[in-house]
Parts: sequence; C-alpha cells; structure tokens
Amino acid sequence: MKRCIIIGKPNAGKTLFTLNFAAYLGTTPLHVAFRQDNTTNWKTYRLDEAVQQLTSSKPHHTLGLQELIVTLPARKGAKRIQLIDTCGLVEGIPAEQDIRRAMAATLAAVRDAHLILHIIDASRVKAAGTVEALGEVDYQVAQFGQLRDGYLILANKIDLPEAKEGLDIIAREFAAHQVIPISALYQQGFKAVKQFVQRHI
Amino acid sequence: MGDWLHSLHHDEVLRFLCEGKLSTADALRLLRQTQPAGAAAKDKAAPPTTNPDALRQALAELNLLVGLQEVKGLVREILAFVEIQNRRRQEGLNTEPTVLHMIFKGNPGTGKTTVARILGKILHEMAVLPKGHLVEVERADLVGEYIGHTALKTREQVRKALGGILFIDEAYSLARGGEKDFGKEAIDTLVKAMEDHKNQFILILAGYRLEMEWFLQTNPGLRSRFPIHIDFVDYTLDELLQIAELFVAERQYKLSPGAKTKLLRILQKKVSDSEGNFGNARLVRNLLEKAIRQQAVRLVSLTRPTREELMLITAQDLEGRETL
Ligand SMILES: Nc1nc2c(ncn2[C@@H]2O[C@H](COP(=O)(O)OP(=O)(O)OP(=O)(O)O)[C@@H](O)[C@H]2O)c(=O)[nH]1
Ligand SMILES: Nc1ncnc2c1ncn2[C@@H]1O[C@H](COP(=O)(O)OP(=O)(O)OP(=O)(O)O)[C@@H](O)[C@H]1O
Ligand SMILES: [Mg+2]
Ligand SMILES: [Mg+2]
Repeated sequence: MKRCIIIGKPNAGKTLFTLNFAAYLGTTPLHVAFRQDNTTNWKTYRLDEAVQQLTSSKPHHTLGLQELIVTLPARKGAKRIQLIDTCGLVEGIPAEQDIRRAMAATLAAVRDAHLILHIIDASRVKAAGTVEALGEVDYQVAQFGQLRDGYLILANKIDLPEAKEGLDIIAREFAAHQVIPISALYQQGFKAVKQFVQRHI
Repeated sequence: MGDWLHSLHHDEVLRFLCEGKLSTADALRLLRQTQPAGAAAKDKAAPPTTNPDALRQALAELNLLVGLQEVKGLVREILAFVEIQNRRRQEGLNTEPTVLHMIFKGNPGTGKTTVARILGKILHEMAVLPKGHLVEVERADLVGEYIGHTALKTREQVRKALGGILFIDEAYSLARGGEKDFGKEAIDTLVKAMEDHKNQFILILAGYRLEMEWFLQTNPGLRSRFPIHIDFVDYTLDELLQIAELFVAERQYKLSPGAKTKLLRILQKKVSDSEGNFGNARLVRNLLEKAIRQQAVRLVSLTRPTREELMLITAQDLEGRETL
C-alpha cells in the first residue's frame, strides 16, 4: 500500500487536514492507528470526535505517527492508501526530548513515504517568532521534496484574511513547486489534492 | 556544520536529531544529501543554460493563475519529463524524443492563451525553446484564396514561430470546409513543417473540447503527433471572483463589497443563461474594463476625488440597471 505523509510546522493544520481529507474521501468512521515508541494503539472515532480530540490550537498536540487508511477511486476499481499524520517540525533544536524523538520518527517515515504533502500555514507566513512562520525548515523540506515525484505544498487556512498575502509569498518562494491553496477547516481545495494523489499512486 | 557530518549514515542523522545535536533543518539537509545516488545527483547537475530567476518568475506566474490546478499539474509533469530527459542525456542514457506538441481543449476565456504564453517562457528558460515567444493565429492567418497561397501563408506563420510556440486558436475550423477547402492544405503544410523543423517549434492546437475531439478523430494522422492533451475546465463562480480581484488589484483598483455582490450576480446570471460558453475569465475582464471606464465618468465631475475614491469600483460602475 502506498504511503502518503503529511508534514509541516507545528499547528500548521496537519491533523485537521488528515482527518477532514479522510472524511472527504468518504472514510467513516475513522480508524486511527497511533504509533509511538514501537507500540501501536488503535482507536475509532466519528469525524467530530476525532477533530475535537486530536486537533488543538496549541502546538505539538500530535507527538507520534497517526495513520489512517483511505480509499480512492482509481482507473481499475479503488486504491487503498495510508495517510500518515506526524509531529510538527520545529526550527532549531527543541529542548524537549519527546519532541526531538517524535521529529526523528517523522523524518524516518518521510524516508519511506511515496507521497509527501507539505502543509504551510498561509495565515502565519510572516508571523516571525511563531512556530508556524515560514522558515528554514520549510525550505529544506521543499528541497528534499524536489527529489521526489509526489511532493506537494498545501497552503492552509486560506479561509483566514491574513492568508491572502501569505499565499502570494508561498507561490513566489516555492515557484518551482506545485502549491494548492486549501482550508483544512472548510475542506476547500480538496478536489485538487485528491486529483494530485490519484495521479501519483 | 562540520564537514564530517556529510558522511553520516541516514540512521545516524536521525539519532543526532534525537539527541539534540542537530537542528531540524540541518537534519533535513543531511538526509537529502544521503539519499540514494541517483536522486541526490539532482542537486549537482543544474541544467545547462538556464537562468534560475527567470524560470522561478515564469513558474510563479503560472502558480499565481487562479484555479487551473489540473493544468498546473500537467505542466509540472511536462517539466519533470524534460528535466529528466536532459539528465539522462548528460549521463549518456537513452532518451525519449521530446515531442511537445499539444492540444488545448476548453471554452473561450479559460486561460488557454495565457497558459501557452507562460509555457513558452518556461520552456525557453529550460533551454527547450531558443526563443519561447508565442505566435497566435487563427484560420484566416493560415488559409489563402488560391491554390498555393495557403501553403505560403502557413509556412510564413511557422517561420515566425520558429524557436517558440505556434498557437492556433479554433484549429478545427481548418477542417470545416471538407476535402476541397484550403484548410486541408494548411493542415498538410503544418504536418510537413513539424517534420522539417523537428524540435524547432511547438505547435499548440486550441479550441472547444467537442470540436477538437471531432477534429482529431477525422484527422488520425494529426492525432498521433500531439502527445499532450490539456483540458481547460470552466472556472467556478468563486474562481471568477478571484480572477476579478486579481485583475483590479494588478491595476491598483478595488471592488467595493457592493460591487462584488453585483459582479457575482451578473456572473451567476450569465453562467445559468448560457451553457458553459459565457466567456469565463474574458467576460470578467470585459466587465471590469467597462467598469473602470464607468468609474472615470462618475469621478470626473467631482472636483477633488480622494485616493480611496480613485481606487474604488462601486456597484453603480458595473453595467446593468439593478440598484443595490
Ligand atoms: N481557520 C482555520 N484554522 C485551521 C485550519 N486548519 C487548522 N486550523 C486550526 O489550527 C490549529 C492547529 O490544527 P492541527 O490540525 O491540530 O495542527 P497540527 O499541524 O496537527 O498541529 P500539531 O499536531 O500540534 O503539530 C487548530 O486550532 C485548527 O482548528 C484552517 O484551514 N483554517
Ligand atoms: N486562471 C486565471 N487567472 C487569472 N487571470 C486569468 C486566468 N485565466 C484567464 N485569465 C485572464 O482572462 C483573459 C482571457 O484569458 P485567455 O485569453 O488566456 O483565454 P483563452 O482560453 O485563450 O480564450 P479564447 O479562446 O477566447 O482566446 C486574459 O486577460 C487572462 O489574463
Ligand atoms: Mg497534529
Ligand atoms: Mg485565447
């Protein structure tokens, strides 16, 4: 099964995107596999429960890998792929050991993924000093992604007014990459993301 | 970052990250550099004669077009293909012939010409096209009035397009008149030019989806020469509004909330009155050009319009008697 990993800065909206995208593809209920420190736990949620419990406005809510299996219509029947939600990547060297360990797990999973969806918070691009702001990590992720066929940037939170300017900056800064504007909250732009994923599996 | 770090194994990079000895960005950089040889080679071998800034700019121009996600995706696939063929050539590997003649299918105003123009720039920057300019023609520019005239006219347009893109709008009209029509001669001349000037220009045939499909079906010889087909779907209302905002912003104007509402209503009506063929982005452009002139008429009688007033397009500037 092909693996599609969702990475980006903390609080960029990775989890909300993963959950809502799975729902958009008709996945219900959501069976989430939590993988952390060599153990796996399964839990089943309705969409609203999952959003309530797994997303948060404070960063580092997700500290391990969270996997969901979804089905996509394909040329012959349907294809199953795995969506992998991850711990946010922070700039510099974080003081907390558990965050560093979780980030290492994120990068190890990136190595094995077929598709990389890189989420950037378009509403915070210029908010220097916040965890979501555009930074060296995003540029490095993009350079890493360039080596892969299935690499896509999702400019998230375009429902927020501040995202307009951020979107222009992202399009300019990552001109060599495909950028799709989305709102993980309102499921905007999901059709284009689905088509991208379909083309690359 | 010390040089010795570059010899780290993948797993060691992750361990160092875990132990707080590497920043996230450095870890990513090292992981990229320890990717399998083939993949990492991409870093070193920059394509030969390209100017990265101009390329970035052309790609940004494409990115900033509203919607067109599928088109953008396909353009990127074409670029990846060209890029990899270049790499393979550098490595002495067999390469696929880079045939980039294309069919653009879609209603008027869906961005076909705009995309073709940007594509020309991009392929120029990627060293595929020596010039990258766009020569846009239609039936009347190719078809003549007597035997031999058509070949002459068509060859002349091809000559102008050498090094760039020859873009034929409503290309199916070349097959309109049937066997005896001079359009047929234009098609034959184009096919011959594609052979004679291989890799020296790109031919794009554009037009309504159904007509283009009919055209290719009735000219099977043509079909096989166009490996790339791109569908331009109609813009959604939302995208049309975004195009409107982009259009006015580029000209330092703004739409008042009332103007937006009215514009949306006009678009809604046009969309439902016609079956797709309502003009798409071109309609938006025409409406706004008119509105800009209308605003001038409204303001010219004021003694001292403010900066804000000079920028603002209001509902009354948009055509139609409707009052809001
Ligand atoms: N307005 C708006 N808010 C969003 C959007 N996407 C995410 N958010 C909010 O941003 C916050 C972070 O979302 P999460 O999905 O938890 O972000 P994350 O990237 O998984 O964060 P970590 O797991 O902590 O790294 C939450 O409060 C979300 O509701 C969006 O498209 N629009
Ligand atoms: N996606 C877009 N974003 C912003 N502006 C656009 C977009 N698509 C088209 N436009 C604008 O709309 C106008 C019409 O577009 P264009 O001429 O490319 O359409 P076309 O498909 O070639 O139409 P036609 O078949 O009538 O020639 C142009 O002014 C262009 O700049
Ligand atoms: Mg999360
Ligand atoms: Mg046109």
